[in-house]
Amino acid sequence: MTATETAAQPVRRLKWQLAQVREIVVETYRVKSLRLHVTNWQGHLPGQHVDLRLTAEDGYQTQRSYSIASPPEGDLLNLTVERVDDGEVSPYLVDVLRAGDQFELRGPVGRYFVWTVATPGPLWLIAAGSGIAPLMAMLRHRARRKVRAPALLLYSSRSLDDVIYREELDMMVRGDPDLRVVNTLTRKQPERWMGHRGRINRALLAEAGFPPKQNPKIYVCGPTPFVEDVSMFLVELGHDPLTIKTERFGPSGGQVP
Amino acid sequence: MTEKVSDLVLDGNAAAGLLEEIFAPEITSAQVECEACGHIAAVASLRLYAPAMGAVLRCAHCDGILIRTVHTAHGRWLEMKGTRCLRF
Repeated sequence: MTATETAAQPVRRLKWQLAQVREIVVETYRVKSLRLHVTNWQGHLPGQHVDLRLTAEDGYQTQRSYSIASPPEGDLLNLTVERVDDGEVSPYLVDVLRAGDQFELRGPVGRYFVWTVATPGPLWLIAAGSGIAPLMAMLRHRARRKVRAPALLLYSSRSLDDVIYREELDMMVRGDPDLRVVNTLTRKQPERWMGHRGRINRALLAEAGFPPKQNPKIYVCGPTPFVEDVSMFLVELGHDPLTIKTERFGPSGGQVP
Repeated sequence: MTEKVSDLVLDGNAAAGLLEEIFAPEITSAQVECEACGHIAAVASLRLYAPAMGAVLRCAHCDGILIRTVHTAHGRWLEMKGTRCLRF
């Protein structure tokens, strides 16, 4: 017996489990969503991610971290994957994987980059490219719960064809007067494009975003330079660094050690 | 009644409950203070450099190394020399 003996508490240990692909949704020409069935899934919070592990026939294993794009209310787990042409994992996930295939994952992990309907204040989401995925889990959660608090998605894509979840976002906006979606296209714009052009800069953040006095909860997700620029601009505009949560990813999704 | 100071000295087994309180909570939400520059930020906001064998987490402010971890045949190693403290 020890001096500080305490009652045994259930400590959650992360375990690898099998996920089965139920459906593959083509989102853009380089992005697909894998809709997965995971037996005994413990549930997750919007913004959390999973570690995914692939094992080759010779036993070689590699891991990546992917954000969950589905809301906790969904029946299948949705991972949205962008093909990186010289990537080790994403071409397999996007081009080779078929419905019925299985792979290992563990999670959910991460409690930092999380938003639920219980979080007070306006919700301000800022994404570049496939950085939209964890933010989409938040928006889908918000839509399922029919929350009336103001929300804004500021979304940077290369071209209109690169905008992930475009139709679903349009539908969400039409059904929700408290939600705004502001797109900017950085490389190619259609003729008569009325939206923003170029990268998200300080002027666009000031013009489209919530002012600091409304104390918005801000979530920024995208490639490292994007996240660092946007967070710097937000702080310069007077937003409290503690209200800004960031998630950076490399070009091939987060590599897990 | 304890007579000697040595009676007060326990071993790490006695710290199990205490340490479980610290190491069981989700770590990426914890605030970490950089030993080099004093910057405080969530573990989630550190820069991660992740070769296949392990990981290096660096301060986003001064680039100092806060956490290093490596997986070897002899176990998982965690080195936190550059971390002044963690707050959960």
